[in-house]
Amino acid sequence: MSETILDIAGYGLDYATPTGFMRALDDVTLQVAKGEVLGLVGESGSGKTSLAWAIMRYLPASAREAGAIRLTGQDLLKASEAEIEAIRGKRIGMVFQDPSTSLNPTLPLGEQLAEVLVRHRGLTRKQAWAEGEERLARVGLKIPKQMMRRYPHEASGGEKQRVVIATAFACQPECIIFDEPTTALDVITARQILDLFKELQAETGVASLYISHDLALVSQIATKVAVIHRGRIVEEGALGEVFARPQDAYTRKLLAAVPRPDRRLVETSATEATKPLVEVEKVSVLYGRKPFLGALLGRANTQFTGNREVSLSVMPGEILGIVGESGSGKSTLAKAMTGLNRFEGEIRFAGRRITGLGDMDRAYRRDVQIIFQHPDSSLNPRQRIREILSRPLALYGEPGSRRDAAAIGELLEQVRLPAAYAERYPHQLSGGEKQRVAIARAFASKPRLVICDEITSALDVSVQASVVELLVDLQKRFGTAYLFITHDLNLVRQIAHRIAVMYRGDLVDLVDIAALSTGPLHPYTQSLLEAVPAPATAA
Amino acid sequence: MIEILRRMLRSPQGALGLVIVGLILLVVIAGPWVAPQDPEKMAPLMRYKPPSAQFWLGTDQYGRDILSRLLHGARATVVMAVLATALGTLVGAVIGTVSAFLGGRSDEAIMRTVDAIMSIPSLLLALLIVNLLGKSSLNALLAIALAFAPGMARVTRSVALSVRKQDYVNAAVARGESAAFIVGREMLPNVVAPIIVEMTIRVAFAVMLFATLSFLGLGAQPPASEWGLMVSEARRFMHLSAWMILWPSLAIALVAIGFNLLGDGLRDALNPRT
Repeated sequence: MSETILDIAGYGLDYATPTGFMRALDDVTLQVAKGEVLGLVGESGSGKTSLAWAIMRYLPASAREAGAIRLTGQDLLKASEAEIEAIRGKRIGMVFQDPSTSLNPTLPLGEQLAEVLVRHRGLTRKQAWAEGEERLARVGLKIPKQMMRRYPHEASGGEKQRVVIATAFACQPECIIFDEPTTALDVITARQILDLFKELQAETGVASLYISHDLALVSQIATKVAVIHRGRIVEEGALGEVFARPQDAYTRKLLAAVPRPDRRLVETSATEATKPLVEVEKVSVLYGRKPFLGALLGRANTQFTGNREVSLSVMPGEILGIVGESGSGKSTLAKAMTGLNRFEGEIRFAGRRITGLGDMDRAYRRDVQIIFQHPDSSLNPRQRIREILSRPLALYGEPGSRRDAAAIGELLEQVRLPAAYAERYPHQLSGGEKQRVAIARAFASKPRLVICDEITSALDVSVQASVVELLVDLQKRFGTAYLFITHDLNLVRQIAHRIAVMYRGDLVDLVDIAALSTGPLHPYTQSLLEAVPAPATAA
Repeated sequence: MIEILRRMLRSPQGALGLVIVGLILLVVIAGPWVAPQDPEKMAPLMRYKPPSAQFWLGTDQYGRDILSRLLHGARATVVMAVLATALGTLVGAVIGTVSAFLGGRSDEAIMRTVDAIMSIPSLLLALLIVNLLGKSSLNALLAIALAFAPGMARVTRSVALSVRKQDYVNAAVARGESAAFIVGREMLPNVVAPIIVEMTIRVAFAVMLFATLSFLGLGAQPPASEWGLMVSEARRFMHLSAWMILWPSLAIALVAIGFNLLGDGLRDALNPRT
């Protein structure tokens, strides 16, 4: 047994609020030894980030603490402000979730890295700069010299996260906290950062606390796992042990909720229909206005391509998954199909040709509904659920059809919410409940195609599972076709009949779900498949 | 409505604002009846008197009771200022929201026009309008409303632009709602909070603008006891009696503070998330 670096013993944290104390962490006991990676898994609001800040000794004034956090025997709760300042960055490093906000946009990357070396290792600026270059080369940046002089906006997300990691490792700390370091990155970049993490971890033997909501990811890198739920550690143990034989009910629920491509939720063959419901034919979307003055002055066209001649079709009752990284044009296509973006090309819906926004009449809008990613912003905060749900009924309902409280109640029950929710405002609902209301709104008009634009990515794993289950259930009941846009390949393999892969505005692949493991694939699809962490059941 | 009132009373600034504005409204309604003297009764022997038991706030250059004049003048001052601001805000808010909703060239055209109007100082614009329409209280009100509309349009548009990007507006567009519905029901209710704060500050400006118009002979005419007019008249006799300019100025300041606090309280109370 190697030496324990970070020892958290019976740590409790409360936040004082006007209405009394709010418990954030309750009797947390964890140890991380040298060379260990402790994966701390929990959903949003479970207190995992609070714990990270408690270790860094950076808590708001309203925090009330109990217990002890020891770093190689020294109790950080009792350390003075000056001692803590010497420890931060030097003995405990931290890597944040979003590299675009954790780096100062007005300073060159090298400046920010050298600062740590000057401050904690007493190097001169010149030495620190040279050392910084070395560090950047160490984290796999190809051009460290140039990178030192670049500003954050001149580097990609992956490059920035490498700089943050280099900074965290710069003073050879004993302990590093990783707070969801890959969540803000694209799948393939995340994969590379993970590989880098594993390599550096093995080389330096630092004690790592790796915080994540992603069980699949933690199963790949951690040696020990702790599951946190509402501020309490509900389960802790060796990686294989926890995943193979989860003791706690919450852990079991969490594990069951992780999407697994091998556990299909829908029948593999969609329908026998031979005529597609909707055909998208060479649809292109350009962003930005045509510069009127620029054209007169002979300046080049500055328009940005969102989609380039995308063609696909959806059969009635089929679930077509669209995957791709951020900026690949997935949402752009969804917006074009719902009349939120201008487009060139043609959409054929049930035989009707639609070449522009003007062709999208009431019948088309009734049949094609969209559900957005963030339930917080897709429901008007000033309207009650009743008003939100009554609009599609008023717009699309046949004359004489009911629009009363009973009709709204039915809509709510359809998405498994109590009818009493009709009188609530969106902010009185949880994220999952809000998304259910958005689903109810989309299904109110009895559409034939529903476009789901990343509808589960803002939700926790267990909530995501229940929302997906609800969608599959509605699909079976009404035979609705879905265009299911997501970046989660595991999830889409669970429910889609066919998968379309988009990359930088192009549709690069459109394959049957069965062909994904066998058929010939575009190189990008191949690398995407390889980058996705295998689900956690492996053990 | 009762719930909003209860929420406002819970915050100190909301409660204080409600009390001050409530007092002002009381004066507006009941002022003329509780005034101890006739506001236009002159007393040549009682000129420039400091506060005393007979004249609580002193007398002016004609020996008229300042308290009675203030109580009578509240109607002319506060009601006109509030009406003018409300009208200007309404026009500005609709222009700003429509502009943000339309976007593109229409937005450009509307906002450049607004900019052009804004480049004229609001007092000059008000003067221009009063001169064109002729001297009267109603025309002064219209002039101030028109002078305020561009500024309100700008404030509203900046808020409405961020609302325009929200998915509930996208959802309404995708649903095929009419532009009037989206502007009126989806967007306007969500830009109300900053507008109300801006509006309350402008009530104070409106009082000053009325005063200036009166001072220039285009608003209220002597012997009216409009507060702004009282300040401008008292300016000439400041060295004889400082009380004369102090009381109406304080009254105007109190109106400004009251409406500001009320705005703060309303902002908190109107936001259902707090």
